[in-house]
Amino acid sequence: MIFTSSYLLSLTTFIYLGAAVLYLIAWVFRVEKVGLLGTFATGIGFLAQTAGILLRWVESYQMGYGHAPLSNLYESLVFFSWMTILVYLFLEFRLKNRVIGVFSTPFASLAMAYASFSPNVHDEIQPLIPALKSNWLIAHVVTCFLGYSSFAIACGMGLMYLMKSKDYTTGLLSRLPSQKNLDELMHQTIFFGFLWLSVGIITGAVWANEAWGTYWSWDPKETWSLITWFVYAIALHARFVRGWMGKKIAYLSIIGFISVIFTYFGVNFLLSGLHSYGAPR
Amino acid sequence: MTIPTSSHPVSGNSKKPFWHILTSVRLAISLFILLAITSIIGTLIPQGESLHLYLEKYGPSMFQVIKVARLHDMYNSWWFIALLLLFAVNLVACTINRFPIISQLYKKDTSLQAVERLLKMPHSFVLSLPSAASFSKEDVNKILPAPVLSYDVENGRLFFKESGKWSYWGVYILHTSILIILAGALIGAIWGFKGQIMLAEGEKVSEAVERFTGKDFPLGFELYCEKFFVDFYDTGAPKEFRSDLVIFESGKEVLRKSIRVNEPLSYHGLTFYQSSYDAMPLITFTITSADGKKKVLSLPVSEKISWQEAGLSVGVMQFLPNIHGGQAAHVWIGDDGFPPEAIWFLKGAEKEFRRGNNIYKASITDVEQRYMTGLQVKKDPGVWVVWLGCAGMLLGFGVVFWVAHRRIWLWVGERNGRPTLILAGRTNKNNMQFERFFDEMEQKIRTMTGVKI
Ligand code: HEM
Repeated sequence: MIFTSSYLLSLTTFIYLGAAVLYLIAWVFRVEKVGLLGTFATGIGFLAQTAGILLRWVESYQMGYGHAPLSNLYESLVFFSWMTILVYLFLEFRLKNRVIGVFSTPFASLAMAYASFSPNVHDEIQPLIPALKSNWLIAHVVTCFLGYSSFAIACGMGLMYLMKSKDYTTGLLSRLPSQKNLDELMHQTIFFGFLWLSVGIITGAVWANEAWGTYWSWDPKETWSLITWFVYAIALHARFVRGWMGKKIAYLSIIGFISVIFTYFGVNFLLSGLHSYGAPR
Repeated sequence: MTIPTSSHPVSGNSKKPFWHILTSVRLAISLFILLAITSIIGTLIPQGESLHLYLEKYGPSMFQVIKVARLHDMYNSWWFIALLLLFAVNLVACTINRFPIISQLYKKDTSLQAVERLLKMPHSFVLSLPSAASFSKEDVNKILPAPVLSYDVENGRLFFKESGKWSYWGVYILHTSILIILAGALIGAIWGFKGQIMLAEGEKVSEAVERFTGKDFPLGFELYCEKFFVDFYDTGAPKEFRSDLVIFESGKEVLRKSIRVNEPLSYHGLTFYQSSYDAMPLITFTITSADGKKKVLSLPVSEKISWQEAGLSVGVMQFLPNIHGGQAAHVWIGDDGFPPEAIWFLKGAEKEFRRGNNIYKASITDVEQRYMTGLQVKKDPGVWVVWLGCAGMLLGFGVVFWVAHRRIWLWVGERNGRPTLILAGRTNKNNMQFERFFDEMEQKIRTMTGVKI
């Protein structure tokens, strides 16, 4: 059977990779049409992935487990990738600029490649353990990942900014958005991510209060999300201290995303705690 | 943003260095960094284990460091709490310090501007009109919907419209709600209670054990566990834990509820959460003495029970649910003046033992699987304050992110002897969005006046 969720989902890995290559070609060789193809590929990938996620949802009901596909590492990686593309497509639509695609679609493709092909990640549909049986699961995961995806894109913008600040007279880099615009975009994307990370932490707290009786227990995952939150709080406040524009924010945006990755994987693989349900078995 | 920062204070506060530091965003950033780093330490060193484990794991010298700095319970240590308090004080001081600045910013009327100033605005464009009359008052209203302020400025008329000025207070909502959250956490820490109850099926308690001090805490009512269920998926993963609880007040049943992991029971400010369980087999032991007297004793593991008539006590030291395909118990026998002994019994297999001159036959006749439910009990009067703070924070975020203070000036008049229109604007954030908005307005004016680029 071709149209199973895992087939569709592994397929999107390659579609996003293709889209990244198309965006890159459009940028390097200045071919608008190829860029359009890139957008087209991203759109197709997004549709295929959406279908894959919905199908997986249906499949979980057919297996008798019946839960939203947001419950283990594999599903969260897929969702991260999906959300990143969603945020990116929104930005492309708003800014009418495809260069950001060069720095955004690879995140989505990498997450999918890791999810589909790493021996550490199991893609079978598993039943929900009691602690995850809650309506808050969806609210919590969706909001956290909206934050994480925004931070991934802000990290891409940080990289763009740093490339641009080294040399912006050559042709290739001159086609990146101006430093001023990148700085503002980065700030806004970080702010947007910060907002959703905050909502994610709050919904997590409400849920923890309902499941375990404490809204905050300094569990490693909670603590790391707070650390990430602090890093981005620094990035937001740094604008009010002289000299902390552009480059430093770009670095913070990259450090912040490293912290996101650690919150996401490091805690599961290296530390133990209430959230280790996503850990490899 | 073009707002002056607190690192270059505007008022006379600069003469007080202590206040200056306390109100600075620099201190806030330093505290963010410190809190982040110390929080990392707390995730690397396991928290809340018993002290001797740290000695084993980290060795004596590191153990001293851990003990003195309280790294085993870092988030409750005095210095971590002090950092949080300093953070709160910083936020309060900063808020107070910036109040006059924000308030000035809010009150300041910037509607009246000289034409030269308009041209220097971040966004502006100049258009030569075919004639002075080609841009009427109605045209102005199409661009800037009423109400607008207007003034006579130089050889023309200036129209002004602004929106979102109140958004300067958004950051205040945000920061204040962070203080509210901290206050809620403090209330919980002072007046709250966290405890544990292990309750066997068919039993009642009226006290919980405080988690940190180990002291008994009276519930003020009785809690009865009627039944505990645990259910598994085919894969062996747990599917559901459930306790059927009943609350009795002065002997009368007042509330009955089944709780699960995400469905607690709340009563009189106390909330009971399903947190763990223990399987507790109830072992039924049948002993027959040589003269034919028979005694049936039922007891759980690690308890002792007496057969008074015979002067004999038995206790179960260990229970193995599955050994050689059966259940087995290691049973202690004593209290009859002879040296105690321990014997393994396999369920269903009778064994003989001797105490002095008496010979007994005994066997395990039944094993009933009984459960003990592990409940977490909590009282937190601060939790609603925390939720209030969270709601405020979201509101504040919304305002800070989406609402900008936008100002538009439109001047129509005679400049250098020619009929001219000037459109100028500025925003305090979301500049790119404003640029698009401004461009649209420019386009609209061009179509209305018929002036092509
Ligand atoms: C975890 C706590 C905090 C959070 C989540 C937070 C969040 C924010 C956000 C989102 C902004 C708006 C940034 C922008 O518009 O670009 C802001 C501005 C600001 N924050 Fe904080 N903040 C926190 C703590 C603090 C502390 C402790 C200080 C103490 C000095 C502080 C001082 C400021 C100042 C001065 C501004 C500029 C706002 C203005 O007056 O226009 N913040 N904060």
